[in-house]
Amino acid sequence: MKGLVPLFIGLFGTFTFSWVGLTVIPNLQIGALNPQMDEEGTDIYPMPQSGMVDRGRRIYAANGCIYCHSQQVRPDYAGADIDRKWGQRRSAPRDYVFDSPVQLGKKRMGPDLANIGRRGGAEEEKSPAPGGSPAQSPIPGGQPAAANQLPAGSVPTPGASPTQSATAAAASPSPAASASPNPGGEPAMYSEAWHHKHLYAPRSMNPDTRDSNMPAYQFLYETRRINGHRSAAALQLNGADAPPDGWEVVPTFDAQCLVAYLMSRDQSHPLKEVKGGAAPAASPAASPAAQPQKK
Amino acid sequence: MTPAADIPLKQPAVSATASDAEQYERALIDASTRVPVLMFYASAMVWLVIGTLLAGFVSFKLHSPDWLSDVSFLTWGRLRPVHMNIMVYGWASMAGMGTAIWLMARLCRTTLRHPLLLVTGAWFWNIGVAIGITGILMGYSTGYQWLEFPPYAALILSIAYALIISWAVLMFRFRRGEQIYITQWYLLGAFLWFPWLYAAAQVMLFVVPVQGVMQTAVGWWYANNLMFLWLGAIALGTVYYMIPKVIGRPVYSYHLATIGFWTYALFSSWTGMQRLVDGPFPAWMITASIAATILTMIPVATVGLNHHMTMQGYFPVMRYSPTLRFTVFGAMSYTVFSIVGLLISLRSAARYFHFSEATIAYSHLGLYAFFTMIMFGSMYYIVPRLVGREWRYATLIKLHFWASAYGIGLMSLMLMAGGLAQGASQNDPSLPFIESVQSVLPYLRGRTLAALLLTASHFIFAYHFGLMLFGLGRTSTVPTFLNPVEAEGSEAHL
Repeated sequence: MKGLVPLFIGLFGTFTFSWVGLTVIPNLQIGALNPQMDEEGTDIYPMPQSGMVDRGRRIYAANGCIYCHSQQVRPDYAGADIDRKWGQRRSAPRDYVFDSPVQLGKKRMGPDLANIGRRGGAEEEKSPAPGGSPAQSPIPGGQPAAANQLPAGSVPTPGASPTQSATAAAASPSPAASASPNPGGEPAMYSEAWHHKHLYAPRSMNPDTRDSNMPAYQFLYETRRINGHRSAAALQLNGADAPPDGWEVVPTFDAQCLVAYLMSRDQSHPLKEVKGGAAPAASPAASPAAQPQKK
Repeated sequence: MTPAADIPLKQPAVSATASDAEQYERALIDASTRVPVLMFYASAMVWLVIGTLLAGFVSFKLHSPDWLSDVSFLTWGRLRPVHMNIMVYGWASMAGMGTAIWLMARLCRTTLRHPLLLVTGAWFWNIGVAIGITGILMGYSTGYQWLEFPPYAALILSIAYALIISWAVLMFRFRRGEQIYITQWYLLGAFLWFPWLYAAAQVMLFVVPVQGVMQTAVGWWYANNLMFLWLGAIALGTVYYMIPKVIGRPVYSYHLATIGFWTYALFSSWTGMQRLVDGPFPAWMITASIAATILTMIPVATVGLNHHMTMQGYFPVMRYSPTLRFTVFGAMSYTVFSIVGLLISLRSAARYFHFSEATIAYSHLGLYAFFTMIMFGSMYYIVPRLVGREWRYATLIKLHFWASAYGIGLMSLMLMAGGLAQGASQNDPSLPFIESVQSVLPYLRGRTLAALLLTASHFIFAYHFGLMLFGLGRTSTVPTFLNPVEAEGSEAHL
């Protein structure tokens, strides 16, 4: 190769081509989105979040939650995310306009958290906790196969009827823990108290999390002597995790922020560009291929 | 003159073709690079050992999560980015810069001016990495892949880099000879691309942050290009020097090399977005990257073919030469790395590999099997020329090679197979999610075994390198061969 100038121009050109193509142009397309609202200017989604949520997001980033948890729901043709009740529709760029740093994630050693806040609330609304707890704390994989085929075989419809959702929820064991505290004193699934207990002792919860390999975040909690009466925020721990008599475990402010952040994760609001929970655009990988393969 | 053509195996002491004047010139150049290059190498070795120990921690904690988990700075989610950043900025970048400096000096045929600049740069770089990892451990990680260092650490790294690159400009100004060799294209590319990349990412993430998901896109664009345009370019440039040099034969085809270089620059810089497949992004971004990934098969084929044709008939030299053995392993791994990258990015396959451990296998294939092995090879070549001693024990080199090769092979297999199992169970909604974790855990235990092998290999190499650094290598006119008895004219024992 002769001369430095053509080499330099080539190096600069290839770099600029990639920079413009993969960051600048996409930024023009999706880099300045506004929240969506209805005609009256109300029903704004997404909304800017509180200071506690922002601080919680930084704690989430600082402790590397992103290395195991994603926060994105893929469309139904591209994976089982919707079948797993991680969301009712795919995620869209507009869902993240107020997130910084965005924690989309790249690996799922743990479940997706895009709607973790919603899932807690939804459970409480949906299941009025009939039948008592024994039926509701299933052994993993112990559900009848017939019930399992329902979510897998049916194309998940947007805003599925409550009955179907309830059935599906019962079929997949993860969200099926009791909504009301069971005899073991377990808080409702994905409630704030549940998150605190789960962060403090991830393997203490129910049969579903007993095999989890999530690290405990006990350094976000303070073990202190009970002064007078027990704090309302104290964790309901049992077994080996429980503090000695006369002591209690309370969340630090960081833990409260982290849980506030988790509770804020909710993409259930419909978006105009995402058609009814299905993929917005036709994709080469069409839906027939979307059904997960059977083992 | 192609710089590649003239050196037979037993260079430098017994040279059949190079004249005395050239020998003398080379010795002068090597002497002028001694302090800065050894400084970079020594720092890289320290980071490598620390990073390896952390890798063991991280790997072990993944399947034994309660171990040392109640101390904030030992939590898995902080140790993992520390491990990654140490390997990328501490080990890989410093070893790469050390090799690049030496190669540039040799190829520009000029002694290194102002070595103090480089030494200062290396110090600043070390300080930047140390401050960065301290920041992550204290809980100030930014949360962007490969950019976890807090911005103040990035500032120090930039200052360090400015010092280092100013040297490169000086070097080019004083170069002799008109021809710019292939290796120099890659090195010049790497040295220019890296600051542009780093600056673009820092500005778009921290100075004027882009909105929402664009942050993730910028993050992946950066991480991917750091692998290809910075580390990958240095590694490929090194291969273009080492293979012809060791076997004493010019590169097979300059034309192929030109095609390989420009297609590499053009296509590999457009990959990266396939890591966001089916995410909340316009589909064209992901499709463009998948197309670019397919097109990277062009540089893979041309570069691979070129090296293969150069090596044709000389493969037995790998039995003797440590440099060649590591370098060829790395060059072959470049092909494997690219093909695996292609396989896991096609949409049909991405369904099973996305969000699984397979992406970790891919990173390790690139950073270790490809880049790191080539760096090991170049260090086996360069260090003796800097310290004036030969490597002491052929056995240690062999142990190092086999432990590394089996270690990275086992790790990649474990993570790929585990990733497939994990992805398949994740995609089957009739299985509870925890099943997907359970299905990958045995493979993660296997990966810990691989991490032990790599740890052993790195300790062996660090020990051997330490011997060289303290002048305890062999004083000999013959390089250390791996199988001395078979090597013609070598000593009967080592």
